[in-house]
Amino acid sequence: MRLSRIASEGIQSLKINKLRTFFMMAGTIVGIAALTIIMAIGKGTEKKVMKRVNNFGPKAVMLIAGGGKDLPPPDMTVTTLTLQDADAIRNQIDGLDIVSPMAWDFQVNVKREANQHQATVWGVEPTWHEAWNWYVVAGEGVSDQDVATMARVCIIGETVRRELFGQQSDPIGERLYINKVALTVKGVLKSRGTSAMGGDFDSRVVIPITTAMRRVMNVDHVGAIRLISKDASLIPQQAEAVRSLINKRHHITPPEEDDFRLVTPTVIAQIVKGSAGTLSILLIALAALSLFVGGVVMMNILLISVAERTKEIGLRRAVGATRGDVFAQFLTESLAVTIVGTILGSLLGLGVSTLLPRITQMPAIVTWEPFVLALAFALLVGTFFGVQPARRAARLHPVESLR
Amino acid sequence: MIELEAIDKTYGGGDTATPVLKGVSFRIQAGEYVALMGASGTGKSTLMNIVGCLDKPTGGQFQLDGTDVVTMDDNAVSHLRNRKIGFVFQQFHLLERTTALKNVMLPLIYSEPYPGDAQRRAEKALAAVGLNDRMYYRPSELSGGQQQRVAIARALITDPQIILADEPTGNLDSTSGLEILAIFKRLHRDGRTIIVVTHDEEVAEHADRIILLTDGKIEQDRRVAQPRRAEKECTEHGEQETAE
Repeated sequence: MRLSRIASEGIQSLKINKLRTFFMMAGTIVGIAALTIIMAIGKGTEKKVMKRVNNFGPKAVMLIAGGGKDLPPPDMTVTTLTLQDADAIRNQIDGLDIVSPMAWDFQVNVKREANQHQATVWGVEPTWHEAWNWYVVAGEGVSDQDVATMARVCIIGETVRRELFGQQSDPIGERLYINKVALTVKGVLKSRGTSAMGGDFDSRVVIPITTAMRRVMNVDHVGAIRLISKDASLIPQQAEAVRSLINKRHHITPPEEDDFRLVTPTVIAQIVKGSAGTLSILLIALAALSLFVGGVVMMNILLISVAERTKEIGLRRAVGATRGDVFAQFLTESLAVTIVGTILGSLLGLGVSTLLPRITQMPAIVTWEPFVLALAFALLVGTFFGVQPARRAARLHPVESLR
Repeated sequence: MIELEAIDKTYGGGDTATPVLKGVSFRIQAGEYVALMGASGTGKSTLMNIVGCLDKPTGGQFQLDGTDVVTMDDNAVSHLRNRKIGFVFQQFHLLERTTALKNVMLPLIYSEPYPGDAQRRAEKALAAVGLNDRMYYRPSELSGGQQQRVAIARALITDPQIILADEPTGNLDSTSGLEILAIFKRLHRDGRTIIVVTHDEEVAEHADRIILLTDGKIEQDRRVAQPRRAEKECTEHGEQETAE
């Protein structure tokens, strides 16, 4: 085919002038690589957000004692949140499946005979199991009766079981001590391993909330209340209703600051996105800039090349090339440069995207979309910056260019 | 057959209009060997460009084998050049960093239909100008005479009726020049139309007919009674040089 013969002439000239070709290509390579990386990071962040939101619970809201803006480290020192607040929410806010208050204490010595272990103690209501989707693998969970009677029972995590009971098969019915309070092991929680921060989820003892407040910790307040909505889409308005309810109960009027925080899936998503967001904007700017600069450089090199090769163009015209043939040859050069540049840039971006999560905290997931987008971009840049030189070449008059 | 009738060519317009050709008429039959002569600035290059379909006259008629070239569009004229005219230039105009073989094949890129045996044809054309052992040399590795012979092979590759040569020996020493003229003689004998544009009387006298151009007009159009015989001179010249 005529066009393929002419295209191969264009490619031939790229092969002959390798250094020139590389300079023409450099901008595209960097730009496309950046584009690929941005999209991989975007995808990675999206997935990380989804994962974190799912971990948090897509329908969950945490009402945490203590004001401020940041995500609080769990803290029991603020005493304003109470079981009565939980009751009020239960009675006055519609569309909630679960309202589950919690009280806790960190680094509590748990003893059994000669063994002891530092664990987190959680005082919970029976709904805790459902609210956190965390059930026992042996024995039973916390019951309504346990709460009503301040029962001296506990459910232990896998680490606590291992540390206190060793390989002994069944800890159920055994007794352990927290702050000299004797508790009978009622169940063993399913193991959840370690958190993203490295904390051990299984180093915990779960006890009825009344037992915790009255017998173990001696407090009148709770640390947090976990709410599970019937419908994720109701969460924003429910969170606002909870805010005004608690403010009223705590006698807080704006501009006075809330003495609690509400954490919703949206808040979690924003926190996760925050870290990757700024970098992404920087990279987008870099990618756009280098694609543009790359295009301009390519166009200029092509224009110089047209001027340098005036005689060649004249000769081609003399031996039968039409204006269209000359145009096609030079457009082939710019398109080939951007397409090959795109392939190399994509490979570079693929490499960096694969390495990035291994050497940094940055999430990156490689998908096929950026490559399609990159190719579309390349054709656009190749055409946009290639047409001008090609047209100049095609317009040369054979007589004048042969002179 | 080439028919020119009252060809005018004027560059520029208005006050700065410069007439270069003023009513040039002649016919060249197929198979003729014609020298187009004139001092520089007499319009012979312009005339050659018009005959070679590289440029269009501003007035007059030009027919090539009965077709009106003046009214043809650019694409049609390009195809016409490809099929009917082989160019040989003073500067050779070979593509640098490209082998002799690829240089010779260049016009075929623009040929319809593309011959399946393109490379073999190029090899044959190179053999015909005595360069069968230089096919993969680049222009910089060849002497001037060899480069011009590559250019002739390139002109022959599409098997055109007309060979149009612009000062083909202008950049060559006399021996190489004679070799080139000897090739033209042979091509003429094979039935091709040869048109050589030159300012050099000695070169012109190898042709059967000389058209002399002065100040944009034909001053003289004459038969050469005894055209010089390039092949013979070539041998003699060679012997002379060997003797020296």
